[in-house]
Amino acid sequence: MQELWLFASAGMSLLPHVEHAPIWLTIAVGAALAWRTAIWWRRTALPSRWLLNFLVAAGSAGIFLTFNQFFGKDPGIALLICFLALKLLEMRRVRDGLAIIFLCYFLLLTHFLNEQGIGVAGFTLATLVVVTAALASLGHGGRPAADHLRQSVLMLAQAAPFMLVLFLLFPRVQGPLWGMPADAYSAMSGLSDSMSPGSISNLSLSGEIAFRVKFEGDLPPRPALYWRGPVLSLYDGRTWRADARQRKVSPHDTAAGPTYRYSVTLEPHNKHWLFVLEMPWKLPPDAILARDYQLLSKTPVRSRIRYEAQSHLEFVPGADESEVSLRRHLALPANNPRTRALAEKWRQELATDEGIVRRMLDHFRQEKFFYTLTPPLLGENSIDQFLFETRRGFCEHYASAFVFAMRAAGVPARVVTGYQGGEENPVDGYMIVRQSDAHAWAEVWLKDKGWVRVDPTAAIAPNRIEAGLASAVLAGEPLPFLVRTDLSWFRGIRFRWEALSNSWNQWVLGYNPQRQREVLSRLGMREPDWKTMTAAMAVLCGLLLLGLVFWTLHKRIRIDPTVRAWNLLSRKLAHLGLARRDWEGPMDFFNRVALSRPELAHPMQAIVALYIDLRYGKQNDQSAQQRLRKLVSNLEIIAKR
Amino acid sequence: MPASPILEAIHHAGRIILGKDRQIRLALVCLLARGHLLIEDLPGVGKTILAHVLARLLGLNFHRIQCTADMLPADIIGVSIYDRNTGGFQFHPGPIFAQVILVDEINRATPKSQSALLEAMEEHQVTCEGETRPLPEPFFVIATQNPYHQIGTFPLPESQLDRFLMRIEMGYPDQAAERELLAGADRRDMVASLNPCMEPGELIELQRAVREVHVSGALIAYVQALAEHTRRSPDFEAGLSPRAALSLLRAARAWALIDRRDLVLPEDIQAVLPAVAGHRLHPSGGAPTASSADIAAALVGAVPIP
Amino acid sequence: MQATASFKRWLFRLYGPEAAPIILTQRRVYVLPTKAGLTYAAALGFMLIGAINYNLSLGYALIFLLAGLGLVALLHTFRNLVQLEIFPGHVEPVFAGDMAHFSLQLLNRRNQGRFSINLRFEGGGAVSTDPAASASTLVRLPLPTSRRGWLHPGRITLETRFPLCLVRAWSYVEPDMRCLVYPRPEKSAPPLPLSAAGESGGSRSGLGTEDFAGLRSHQLADSPRHVAWKAVARGQPLLTKQFAGASTTQVWLDWFEMPPELGIEARLSRLTRWLIDAHAQGLAYRVRLPGKEIPLGMGARHYQDCLEALALYGD
Repeated sequence: MQELWLFASAGMSLLPHVEHAPIWLTIAVGAALAWRTAIWWRRTALPSRWLLNFLVAAGSAGIFLTFNQFFGKDPGIALLICFLALKLLEMRRVRDGLAIIFLCYFLLLTHFLNEQGIGVAGFTLATLVVVTAALASLGHGGRPAADHLRQSVLMLAQAAPFMLVLFLLFPRVQGPLWGMPADAYSAMSGLSDSMSPGSISNLSLSGEIAFRVKFEGDLPPRPALYWRGPVLSLYDGRTWRADARQRKVSPHDTAAGPTYRYSVTLEPHNKHWLFVLEMPWKLPPDAILARDYQLLSKTPVRSRIRYEAQSHLEFVPGADESEVSLRRHLALPANNPRTRALAEKWRQELATDEGIVRRMLDHFRQEKFFYTLTPPLLGENSIDQFLFETRRGFCEHYASAFVFAMRAAGVPARVVTGYQGGEENPVDGYMIVRQSDAHAWAEVWLKDKGWVRVDPTAAIAPNRIEAGLASAVLAGEPLPFLVRTDLSWFRGIRFRWEALSNSWNQWVLGYNPQRQREVLSRLGMREPDWKTMTAAMAVLCGLLLLGLVFWTLHKRIRIDPTVRAWNLLSRKLAHLGLARRDWEGPMDFFNRVALSRPELAHPMQAIVALYIDLRYGKQNDQSAQQRLRKLVSNLEIIAKR
Repeated sequence: MPASPILEAIHHAGRIILGKDRQIRLALVCLLARGHLLIEDLPGVGKTILAHVLARLLGLNFHRIQCTADMLPADIIGVSIYDRNTGGFQFHPGPIFAQVILVDEINRATPKSQSALLEAMEEHQVTCEGETRPLPEPFFVIATQNPYHQIGTFPLPESQLDRFLMRIEMGYPDQAAERELLAGADRRDMVASLNPCMEPGELIELQRAVREVHVSGALIAYVQALAEHTRRSPDFEAGLSPRAALSLLRAARAWALIDRRDLVLPEDIQAVLPAVAGHRLHPSGGAPTASSADIAAALVGAVPIP
Repeated sequence: MQATASFKRWLFRLYGPEAAPIILTQRRVYVLPTKAGLTYAAALGFMLIGAINYNLSLGYALIFLLAGLGLVALLHTFRNLVQLEIFPGHVEPVFAGDMAHFSLQLLNRRNQGRFSINLRFEGGGAVSTDPAASASTLVRLPLPTSRRGWLHPGRITLETRFPLCLVRAWSYVEPDMRCLVYPRPEKSAPPLPLSAAGESGGSRSGLGTEDFAGLRSHQLADSPRHVAWKAVARGQPLLTKQFAGASTTQVWLDWFEMPPELGIEARLSRLTRWLIDAHAQGLAYRVRLPGKEIPLGMGARHYQDCLEALALYGD
C-alpha cells in the first residue's frame, strides 16, 4: 500500500517534467517506474546496491553529456528526476520513503520554473494531496487508502490559512539573490532583435499572451494600435538587425491628438524591450528611450512586469535627424539587382519621396500579391524573388521589401517590429495582445515630417489591420486555435478564463515587494516594512496556532439537563454534609437524606420520583426536565444550627 | 402489581427458613429471570429446605439428584430401555425431568455428568440417542457445592460456573433465628403443610413480565461502567464478560419486578451484583479469600453512577 | 550522571508510581521534530532560497503551505497522544527468565481513532497500538525477567509519530503495577520425591473405587470386568469403562530434606520444578519452607499459593 502511494506521488511529480526533460531521461525514468512496479507486483527482490550505484553514475554522466554541466536549472531538474527514479528502486526503509517524498516536493517546486499558470497550480495542489497522503501512509501503513487521503486533505486544509498569512506577510525580496544560471530563461518566447523571412510568421502561430493593457478611459481605434518594439535598421541582405549603438533621448515635447494613459503587464521575454503604443510620450520610470524610439528596460524582462505609460497617436519624432543618421538608413548590401533597378526607375520618374512611397504601395496593390502565413522559401536574392516571382508573403516580407526598395530609391527607411492590434476582454476590460499579433511595418523619413509610419501589409491585406490576422489570411491556413473567429461560444469562455488568469498573474504571480506594499497599505498597514510585516505574520500565525490548539484539546461535553439538575441537588445537600456519593443510587440517596433530615423527605420525594422517571424510566420530555430543574432550585435548604 | 404472589411466597418461606430473607429473595429472582442457582455452603444450613420450599410455594414438581463419582449422564437424563411388550425402545426420563431440581454436591459428579447436566440447563432440553426432548417449563436448577472438602472432587470449571446466573452462600443463621429454629416445629412437616401461592402458568407470566421491565440508557451505561472497571482494574484477574453483564441486567430486572417497579434502578444492579458477579470475578493475587459481598462492595464503591 | 537524571526527573515530572487513571494532560506530552522533521525544515529552507532567487510566486505559496503543514503535523501528533487515559491492568505471574507481560488499558474518549502509539518499558520491547474511537484498547507490554520476587517495571514511554513522521510526541507514565516472578525452575532436577509420600500411605478418595471417567470402544485386550454390560443390554456395541487415575498420591516438598550443599536459590529452583511436575501430574502436595508451611492441597489456587510462597521467600 505504501509503495503504491509512493509510486503515485513520484508519477504525478514527474509528469509535468516530461515536456521539458531530455527525451532519453523520460524514457529511462518511465522504464525505471515500470520496472519498480513489476518488482512490487511480482514481489521480487529490489536491484542490488551495486547496480544502483552504476545507474546513478550512468544517469549523471548522461545528464552531463546532455547539458555539459551540472549547475543550472535544466541539469539540476534532470538530476532530481534521475535521483527520484533511482530512489524508488532503493525503497527499503521508511527513510527511503521520506527521501522520495522530499524529492517529490522539490520537483513540484522546480516545475514552477517552467510554468506558473492556474492549471499548474491546480495540478500541483492535487499532487501535493497525493504526496502528503503518501507521507501519511509512511506514518501508518495499515489504514485504508481513503483515510490517508482524508488525513492529507484535512491537514492541507488546516495548513492553508498559514499559507495565506505567510504569503501575504512574508517580507518579499526581489530576486535574484545571486547570478542566474545562463539558461534560466530559455523557455521564453517573443520578438527578437533580428528579423529574417519567417521569423514573425512562426511567432504568429502562437496564441500565447505577449502583454495585457489596461487603458484609462477610451480605447484608441483598432487601426491605430501599433505597439512599438524593436526597430531594425541594419540589413545584411537577408536579416534585419537592430542598431545596438543608441543614444538616449527624451520624448519630444511637441505632441498632438488625444493622450492615452494605460498600464501594460508584460510577460517575460528575456529581452530589453518594453512595448508601448506609438508614440510614447510619458515613460515609465527606469525605462530608457533610444534614439529610434525603442523603449528599453535596464535589465532583461525576466519576470512579469507592470508599467504605466502615456502615448500620443499623432506625434511624429525625428524631424531633426542628422545627416549621418539618415545616411545609415540608406545603406544596402549589393544584391537584389531587379529591385534596385525598379527603385531607381521610380526615382527618376517621380519627383517627391512621398510619390515614391505611394508608387510602391500601389505596386503592391495592383500586382497579384498575396498575404499568407505560409510563404514559399526564398533564395539568395530574397527580395527580388519575392517581388517578382513568388509574390506571396507575410508582413515581414512586405516590410522588408518595402524598406529595401525605399532605400534603393534614396528614401531613408527602417523596419519596425512589434505588435499590431489586441483584443479587449469584456470580462475585466483588459486588452490582450498575443504573439499572434506580432507584426512588422516600415518607417520612412520625409523632410519636414520626420519618421512616418508606412504599413505595406495594410496595402495588401487591409483586414489585417482593421480586424486582425484571422480575417486577413487565406481560408484554410493554420491559425492559432484561440484566434479563430468561428468559435464564438468558445471565445466567451476564453475571455472569462483569460480574465481569471490575468487576476492570477496580477495578484498571485505578480505579488512582488511593490505589490505587497500596495496591498498591505490598502489593508490599513501604514508604511509596511519588514519588521512590521514579520510582527504581523508572527501574531497571525500565533492566533491560527491557538485556534488549532483549541481544536486539538476541545472535547465536546454535553450534560443531560436531568443530570445537571441532579448534580445541583447534590451540591445543595452538600451544605448539610449530605452530598450524594458517586456510587449511590437515587433511592438509597433519598433514604439516607430522609433519615437524617426528615423535614426534607416530602420535597425530596417528588424530586427523586421525577428524576427516576426521567433518567431510568421511559419519560423523556423537556417540560418534565424543566419541572425537575424548578423543583430542585426551589428546594430550600436550611442548614443545621 | 403482578408481583404480589411472589411477596406472599417470600413471606411464607421466611417463616420456615429463618433469617434468610435475602437468600430467598435472590433465589426467586433467579427463578424469575429464568436462570439457575448455585449455592455454595456447608451441609446442613438449609440448602435442601430452600429448594423444597420454593417448589412447594410455587406449585412446581421437585426432584433431587445426589451426585456421586460413579454417576453416569444417563442417570440424570434418563435411558431408553427395550420394551418386550411393544417391541421398541421406550424412554425412561431421568430425574432432570422436573420443574425444580436440586443437584446436591455437584462437584462430586464427574466432568462428563456435570457437562451433561449443565448442557440441559443451558438448552432447556436434553438430547438422548439422537432425540431431542424439551424439559418442562418453568425449569429451575439449584445446585449445591461444598467449597471446603476438595479432595476427590471435580470443582466446576470457570466456564461452567458462568452457566449459573447466581451463586449465593447461605451462611449460619444469626442467634435469634437459630434459637427460634431449635424451638420450632420440624421443618419437614412445615414444608409438607405449605400451600402453593400461585399456578404454574402464573409463574410463566411473571417470567415474561420480567422481560418487560424497562432498562434506560443511563442504566446500561452504569452496567457498562461496572464491567469496564473489572476489565481494566488490576484488582481482578479477568473482567466480566458481556454475558455476565447481560445476566446482571436480567437479574436486576427481576429484582425490580419483585420490588413492584417497572424500571430498573442502579440499586437493583447493586443488590444482585454480589450474587451475579461473585463467582465470575476473581480478585488477583493478594486476597484469595475475599467473599462475593466484599468483591461486590469494592466494585460498587469504585464505579460512580453515570 | 546523577544531575542529568534528576534534571530529567524535574523536566518530565517523574514522581514515581501514579494511581489510575493516568491521564496524559497537555502538560505532560512533549513534542519535538524528528530527524525527518528537521530534514523537512531544512529542505523547505533550501526551497525558499530557490523561490526567492527565481521569483517564484507559486514557489512561495508551495513552501508556505508545506510550512503550514509542518505546524499542523505538530499539532496532529500532539493530539494523537494527548488526553489518552491509561489504566494499569492484569499482570500474570511468570517464571524468572520468561517474558512478563503487563496489561494496560488505553482509554480513548475522543470520537476519533488514534494511531501508531508505541509503548515500551525501559529495557523492554516496544508495542504499537491503534486505540479506536471511544473505546478502550488492551496492550500487553513485554519485559524480560531475571530475578524472582516482585518485579516493578518502572516507567513507560508512550510515543507517537503519527501522522507524518515529522514530529515525535511522547510522554512518560509510571503506573502502579508489579509482576510476581516465580523462581526459575531447575533444568535437570531429580525426579519428584514420591518415595516420601509412600510412607504416608497415599490415601484413596471417596468410596474406595476408582473414579469412572467415561466409555470408549472395546478392544480385545480389555478385561471383561470393565465392559459396560448395561450398554450391551441396550443393544449398543461393546464398550469399555475407563477409570481415571485420579489417585491422590501426596508429595512432600520440603526445604529441609534437600541436599545441604544447595544454596537458597538452587533449592527454590528445584522446589519450583517439583511443584510444576506435581501439579501437572495432578498430585496433592504440601510445601515446607523455613518459617512457612502450606498444607496439603491441589488445584490451581493451591499451586499459585505455593509458587507465590517460593517467589517471595525471604522478602
